[in-house]
Amino acid sequence: MNEPSQYLGPMIKGTIDGLSITVRPGTVLLNAARTLGIHIPTLCHHEGLPPDGNCRLCVSQVGGRLVASCIYPLTADGFQAQTDNERIRYARSLVIALMLIRAPEAPVVVALAREYGVTEQPRLRRVTADGCLRCGRCVRACLTGGAEAVSLVGRGTARIVTGPFFEPPPDCVGCLSCARMCPTGIIGFTELFDRRQIWGRNFQLVPCPTCGRPWATEEELARLNADRLCPACRRRAMAEAISSCPTEN
Amino acid sequence: MRFADPDQLQDYCLNLPPVPPRRLWVCGGPGCLASGAEDLLAALRMEATKSGLKDTAELSCEPTGCLGLCQRGQLVTTEPDGYVYEKVSVEDAYEIVDQTLLAGLPVSRLCQDPSDPKAKNHPFYLPQKRLIMRRFGRINPERFDDYLRTGGYQALALAVRLGPEEVAFRIEASGLRGRGGSGFPAGRKWKACRTAEGDQKYVLANGDEGDPGAFMNRSLMEGDPLAIIEGLTLGAYAVGANQGYIYVRHEYPLSVARLRLSISNAEQCGLLGDNILGSGFSFKLSVVEGGGAFVCGESTALMASIEGREGQPRVKYVRSTERGLWDKPTLLQNVETWANVPLIVENGPQWFKSLGSESNPGTKIFSLVGQVRRSGLAELPLGTKIRTVVEEVGGGHLPGRFIKAVQTGGPSGGCLPVSELDLPLDFDRLPAAGTIMGSGGLIVIDDLSCMVDVARYFTKFLMTESCGKCLPCREGLAVIDGLLNDLCQSKAQIGDTDKLKELALTLSETALCGLGQSAANPVISTIRYFHHEYIEHEQGYCRSGRCQGMFIVNIDSDLCSGCGACQTACPSGAIIGRERKVRQVNTSKCISCGACLATCHFGALKTARRANHE
Ligand SMILES: Cc1cc2nc3c(=O)[nH]c(=O)nc-3n(C[C@H](O)[C@H](O)[C@H](O)COP(=O)(O)O)c2cc1C
Ligand code: SF4
Ligand code: FES
Repeated sequence: MNEPSQYLGPMIKGTIDGLSITVRPGTVLLNAARTLGIHIPTLCHHEGLPPDGNCRLCVSQVGGRLVASCIYPLTADGFQAQTDNERIRYARSLVIALMLIRAPEAPVVVALAREYGVTEQPRLRRVTADGCLRCGRCVRACLTGGAEAVSLVGRGTARIVTGPFFEPPPDCVGCLSCARMCPTGIIGFTELFDRRQIWGRNFQLVPCPTCGRPWATEEELARLNADRLCPACRRRAMAEAISSCPTEN
Repeated sequence: MRFADPDQLQDYCLNLPPVPPRRLWVCGGPGCLASGAEDLLAALRMEATKSGLKDTAELSCEPTGCLGLCQRGQLVTTEPDGYVYEKVSVEDAYEIVDQTLLAGLPVSRLCQDPSDPKAKNHPFYLPQKRLIMRRFGRINPERFDDYLRTGGYQALALAVRLGPEEVAFRIEASGLRGRGGSGFPAGRKWKACRTAEGDQKYVLANGDEGDPGAFMNRSLMEGDPLAIIEGLTLGAYAVGANQGYIYVRHEYPLSVARLRLSISNAEQCGLLGDNILGSGFSFKLSVVEGGGAFVCGESTALMASIEGREGQPRVKYVRSTERGLWDKPTLLQNVETWANVPLIVENGPQWFKSLGSESNPGTKIFSLVGQVRRSGLAELPLGTKIRTVVEEVGGGHLPGRFIKAVQTGGPSGGCLPVSELDLPLDFDRLPAAGTIMGSGGLIVIDDLSCMVDVARYFTKFLMTESCGKCLPCREGLAVIDGLLNDLCQSKAQIGDTDKLKELALTLSETALCGLGQSAANPVISTIRYFHHEYIEHEQGYCRSGRCQGMFIVNIDSDLCSGCGACQTACPSGAIIGRERKVRQVNTSKCISCGACLATCHFGALKTARRANHE
């Protein structure tokens, strides 16, 4: 999802933290760094989702300026990137300090704060700690799944994730992709036997035809266009299919 | 009339019907329009009809673009004499028609200097060089023929003879820089777009003008819409685009209407549409009304908005000239940048370079507002000193006050102290001093304004306009705003200024788009030049008397004239003293509201720290 295809031309060479690397033009800095085993912290980024570059945690330095590694394409031969220096750590610390205001209890944020030595600063607290970092991973997950049920609406600090008109989203299929993608785990849902509740919507869970365990919503299955086996039964069915294959000798 | 080739256009221009020898131009700029320009125009026309100018009354009294001296509106200027009348009302209509229109004599009582009624000697106009605004006061922007009569479309007629390479070359060689804020060399963008691959390209004009209080672009779109359209046509011709959009904020209905009217007029004449002037080049242009968010002026947000998506910046490390609107090569310029284009194509790059300063050629429209005697719109060569604008064009400080700072560049610009007033207004020196040129806003700030409060005002604006997409801008501005509020309400703590500075500097480095990257400028520049005011605020003192409850008032008995103006203004009876005697302040009664401060024309009122903070 990350590699824009519009870049053509020969491989380019450069360095990241002094280590040489050769990449296809257009390779995103974050991915290039990862192939070298260099760790860059990320939050809004997820391999399975289109990148958005909104949290700014992954800033690195290319030339004289800070760029978002998760979205910055390496295009020119001879690039020189740094992923860790005082300026970068300082910028990331600020981002983390601001994250701490919104989501002081989220394990990801707490871990980042510990890694960067950031502590909560009561003087900076000006918005409610609602646990949401507005990174939009839920929205992108929903979009990628095709439901487009929730979106980020509102400007500035009034920005929130919600269904249309701040009401339970009619297009929601109850697949929980959003909740699973949420880095702070703040998207609430409940599951009680064959009922699931999320975004103010109630869903009936459909039983797996093999084991009878209620596991997915009808709306979600209707989109998938596959058999209705639960993941465990599907694995078993596949394993059986493989083991019953006639061997060559 | 449809012009099939440049010669037909030339012929038509040479044979335009004559206009009356004397004409009155009523300023139809945003300010004058709001204060009743239409009524004045109607009154003048009625008087003209009564005086026997029946057939030509309409052509003798016409609305025109902004005459600049907005604060002294209603304004009327005359042709061919060039008198400027200020503060004109409907009651003056008879005299103006009788004296000026019929007899060519000035109505002296309406002139700033009765002995010298001509605009060209007026201190407001003297330092100016009105090129982009040259048609303001010379044409009715809704009359297509007026545009042609004043040299309109000559550049296009020339361009189709020169060919697109030469047009692009002239812009590049002229050194024209974008007037929308960044000052990016236009020629570089043109070249990139011209050489970009793709058979579909776009040209865009940015008329979003989101800066609060700014009206340069609006005046231009209303006063000379065809200059922008001709500029865009030339741009499209040079880079090979066949579709263009003018993005106008929807709070500007008159701009939208005039641009649309002008586009349809140009289409009828074959100056837009297929095979323009027989050159084989086709170009369509439409107006898009913006959603009214400040961030929509940012290039990627603007394009998203035109595409019909939410007006939000995109992260891009690719230039729009390669992949812009609908991922096609796109050339975006500010409307004022476009209005420069016909001038440059017609007069050549050397002529353009002779204006302004070395690497900042040409002129720029500035809006001068704030605590000066004369405010309004002024067009000046780039490189003009700030002092010239404030003191000559603006006429300097208000009585009894002194100028403390000048804020440039709109909300995300910065404040410069008086010691920096000799800086030239250009795209290189202002950033070096910690501010920006922006779209040309100049706000004069005097001793009655608090610099922390000024920073707070702009931060608040930017906070509410932040789109909220990226974390540092959305959350960071809320924190900065909170700390500034505390400073202005004596709730601050020692060390807040340092915290603010850290936050501000990091916000500039980490934000996603230009809004967030420049949003901290007001804070950074005021801390840089007015650090002492911040420290005083940390201690609970506001020297300007702007932040309520953070000062007391004293009267300097040597300066007090005993006029008693302050006594009348004080709501709590804290100022005591008898008629024509020096006044005194009963400090225990002073509620620190600051109501008295602006009333003193003698500089006798002084603020001091409240006792509990000493
Ligand atoms: C937050 C923000 C707001 C902007 N608003 C405007 C605007 O109102 N008008 C404008 O011409 N440019 C505005 N710009 C600058 C544009 O992004 C762009 O640089 C400009 O239109 C390019 O034209 P120019 O090169 O002719 O100046 C804004 C930029 C930012 C970051
Ligand atoms: S810097 Fe501000 S305006 Fe720009 S993308 Fe980020 S939140 Fe939106
Ligand atoms: S992880 Fe790169 S900006 Fe969020």
